[in-house]
Amino acid sequence: MNPRQRVSALLFPVILLLAACGQQGASSPAAPEASQDPLDAMSLEELVAAAEEEGEVVVYSFTSRIEAVEEAFEAEYPNIDLIGSDMSSTEQIARLQAEADAGAAEADVAYISDAPVVFGDLVQSGILHRYVPAAFADTVPAAYQEPLLANRLSTKVLMYNEEAYPDGSPISNLWELTTDEWRGKVVMVDPLVRGDYLDLMTEIVLRADEMAEAYEALNGEPITLDEGIENAGEQFIADLFANDVVLVDDTDNVNAAIGALGQDDPPVGFTSYSDRRDNEDEGWALQVADGVAPAPGIAFPALLGVVDGAPHPAAARLVIHYLMGDDSETGGPGYEPFYVAGDYPTRTDITPPEDALSLEEVGAWEIDPVAVFEIRQDVADLILTLQ
Amino acid sequence: MNSAAPAAATPPGALFWRVRRALRQPVVVIGLGVTFVLGVLAAVPLARLIGDTITADGGSAWSDVLASRLSENLFWSPLVATVAIGLIVGLGSVVLGAGLAWLVVMTDAPGRRLIGFLASLPFVLPSFALALAWESVFRNDLVGGRVGVLWAMGVGVPDWLSWGFVPVCIILIAHYFSLVFLLVAAALASVNADLTEAGEMAGASRGRVALGITLPVVMPAIVAGFLLAFAEGVSNFAVPALLGLPVRFQTLSTRLYGSISTGQTERGFVLAVLLICVAALVLFAASRLTGRGRGYATITGKGGRRRTLALGRWRWPLVAVAAGICLATTIVPAAVLALSSVARRSGQLSGELTLHFWSGASDPSIAQGTEGVLRNPQIIEAGLTTLLLGVAVAALSALLALGIGYVVVRGKGTLLARAVELMSFVPFLIPGIALGAAYIAVFGRPIGPLPALYGTLALLILAGTAATLPFAAQAGRSTMGQVAGDLEEAAVMAGASMPRRMAAIIVPLSLRGLLAGGVLVFVKMVRDLSLVVLLVTPSTTLLSVIAFRYASEGFAQFANAITVVIAAISVGATLLARRLEGAAQPWAEQ
Repeated sequence: MNPRQRVSALLFPVILLLAACGQQGASSPAAPEASQDPLDAMSLEELVAAAEEEGEVVVYSFTSRIEAVEEAFEAEYPNIDLIGSDMSSTEQIARLQAEADAGAAEADVAYISDAPVVFGDLVQSGILHRYVPAAFADTVPAAYQEPLLANRLSTKVLMYNEEAYPDGSPISNLWELTTDEWRGKVVMVDPLVRGDYLDLMTEIVLRADEMAEAYEALNGEPITLDEGIENAGEQFIADLFANDVVLVDDTDNVNAAIGALGQDDPPVGFTSYSDRRDNEDEGWALQVADGVAPAPGIAFPALLGVVDGAPHPAAARLVIHYLMGDDSETGGPGYEPFYVAGDYPTRTDITPPEDALSLEEVGAWEIDPVAVFEIRQDVADLILTLQ
Repeated sequence: MNSAAPAAATPPGALFWRVRRALRQPVVVIGLGVTFVLGVLAAVPLARLIGDTITADGGSAWSDVLASRLSENLFWSPLVATVAIGLIVGLGSVVLGAGLAWLVVMTDAPGRRLIGFLASLPFVLPSFALALAWESVFRNDLVGGRVGVLWAMGVGVPDWLSWGFVPVCIILIAHYFSLVFLLVAAALASVNADLTEAGEMAGASRGRVALGITLPVVMPAIVAGFLLAFAEGVSNFAVPALLGLPVRFQTLSTRLYGSISTGQTERGFVLAVLLICVAALVLFAASRLTGRGRGYATITGKGGRRRTLALGRWRWPLVAVAAGICLATTIVPAAVLALSSVARRSGQLSGELTLHFWSGASDPSIAQGTEGVLRNPQIIEAGLTTLLLGVAVAALSALLALGIGYVVVRGKGTLLARAVELMSFVPFLIPGIALGAAYIAVFGRPIGPLPALYGTLALLILAGTAATLPFAAQAGRSTMGQVAGDLEEAAVMAGASMPRRMAAIIVPLSLRGLLAGGVLVFVKMVRDLSLVVLLVTPSTTLLSVIAFRYASEGFAQFANAITVVIAAISVGATLLARRLEGAAQPWAEQ
């Protein structure tokens, strides 16, 4: 083999690789618009026209209900192809970060929870941008417009099986979960794997005073803290883990564990109130435990953001507009998948569904994303030592 | 120019001539090429892994992992669990796999062809499929919700059998023994009959022949199988994740996944580096113990029909045991998967049945309107991408296997050979999750004029080739090790050039081993999860990720349906490979 042949033989695999890279044109970053402001100020009709020119839109969504939204959206705007991807908030955060680093944004819209990390990391570094359609600027409270728009509040609260407990929740105080009666019969997703559950644990630590009061109300004496534990909230988490709390890796496993029909002695656990909508299809009997002292869990916003460098910015804004719903009382087809008990629209002009407990009745704590973000990592470390 | 310059002459001049002469040797040329490729695939991501742990953030991560109140749960306990799993899985896989391989290839057991086929199948199913099948039978009510068949019948299944260490080991052995089986069977099939005949003519008993002749000759393949099963057992993520969490059983791979997916990348990388060190130690010790480096050339060009061993009265008991193993590891999980993909209610196998999850149109009340597997355009596209990925990685792998095998065996002892061996070992030790994360870190951004590969199929192909390097290396090395040097030397003396030698001698003789390796790689890529889970994007997605996602979402029937599709693809590939193997070497007896 002469030298030239040798060199070309060695270069051949390199050429193959480069050719393979060249084929994938889809991920080339779009040239940044001169300024995003013109799109932010457009009316709905102008937005639709611009979006139809773009032709498609990619949405990352933390809820699988995006499929239903996709159908309704494409029925309304047949010239725009909505491509929805269902991935957990934790995964979305990692993915959006990686795409930003690569300079190749694939998604246009992020529909995401885990507000503490979203605000603390993604918004701070400019990966997600805020967009509030003018039509909803008045009907959504200011708190749910900054730093990103939220179209509803979702929950992570204590739920039980209403077939086995037809007279109401068997738990009326969170501290009961740490007693012998409920040893090994409390289920939740591992907080170290799902950010929303870590936020729940963190909020419990932030509300340590209320937790201490609740302890006293149940046991008649003030709480004593173990060594290394700083407040009643941390003590609760430690006791919960010492009481053999069962950890799984997905909310649907929690739902099946708590809610499956035909159980004599089902466990209770933390999951989303809105998962009750699947009771009939899945054969569950989920019901929210209201009236739990000091609170059954947390309520947190479901955020909508435009991704920086999105390939289809106008269509992205149209999707956000669509997800906020329309003029009708129940929010219309865009909001319909979320018009269930357990989802609380941020718009003040939508009537709640019947048979749904209001947020006050449920009594869940609304989280403060900034406060949660500050101590979240410490709570995660605490949980690590308990596992 | 050809005579060596005297050592006392100008040193630069002598060096120049030595280098020039070296570059004319094909071993060196191929070696340099392979080294470059391996450098890009294996060394650079590893350097990135280590490098990221030495930064400012990385420093605190080291102390967090090793010497803080977190260390017990984050590192030390999972470490013990991980190493234990690795050793048990390695040994168990070798015992089962090599035993079955011997039964199928070397004896006259009835039904051995069927057993051989079935024994190669467990590797084809994704490991989480076996875990799901185990749950359907053995799950107790620790987590509430649906229970397995045994508990529903009233059998009180204890926690240690339903969850945690024991089922993880059993499932991983049931999964990886077939890997060892394939490797050892390929090696046994190439063993020349002269060797055993010589032993028998000298009067050795059957057992003596088996232990004294056959076993040492295929020892390289057995050791390779052990090392692969160990490395895979140590880095497997899906099974401990599914079966360990409810009893808080953690391995280093689940801790790693947890760290990286919650943004604690430095901690994850520290764990990965430590895992690599531990695995390297064990592998080093293992190779020292078995005296690797003594290869045996058994494809010598001097032929002889392979004679099978008559089992006599051991025949039926052994076949019964083998059949039992195959049933439990292949037929039952496949049946459970297929049944649960048509069950109306997930988990209730005896309830109402429906084909909705396969061919049904979108129904909003079922799984939020997801279409049936065979109609869903996203799944079909993912299927095509998966096939493309599998074929591309298998082809690149086979090419690399040839190169690596040639350099390592023909250039044994040289610096190049040792460097190549070392680098092809490296991905062994890096868990799939960490390798994926390292690849994003290295290739996810633009490198000079080269574009960022994040989200492209090219990145998946690169990462897949790197992850399957150990398979390629072992296949290449054991294959090349069996092709005796005399054949090539004869060709050299007859004046054949390097490409001619490759095409006419080396490739055809290694084809069987390379094909087996290529199919292994294809199957591994088609069903792999931990490597690709961080690398796929919605526009380039794969079947295994969709299946795992559906399983996590509780869309169990869809997940199982897709798993059946993955299994069908892999089984099809295995069957095709067998057919081709027979055609490629007609002189080898079936």
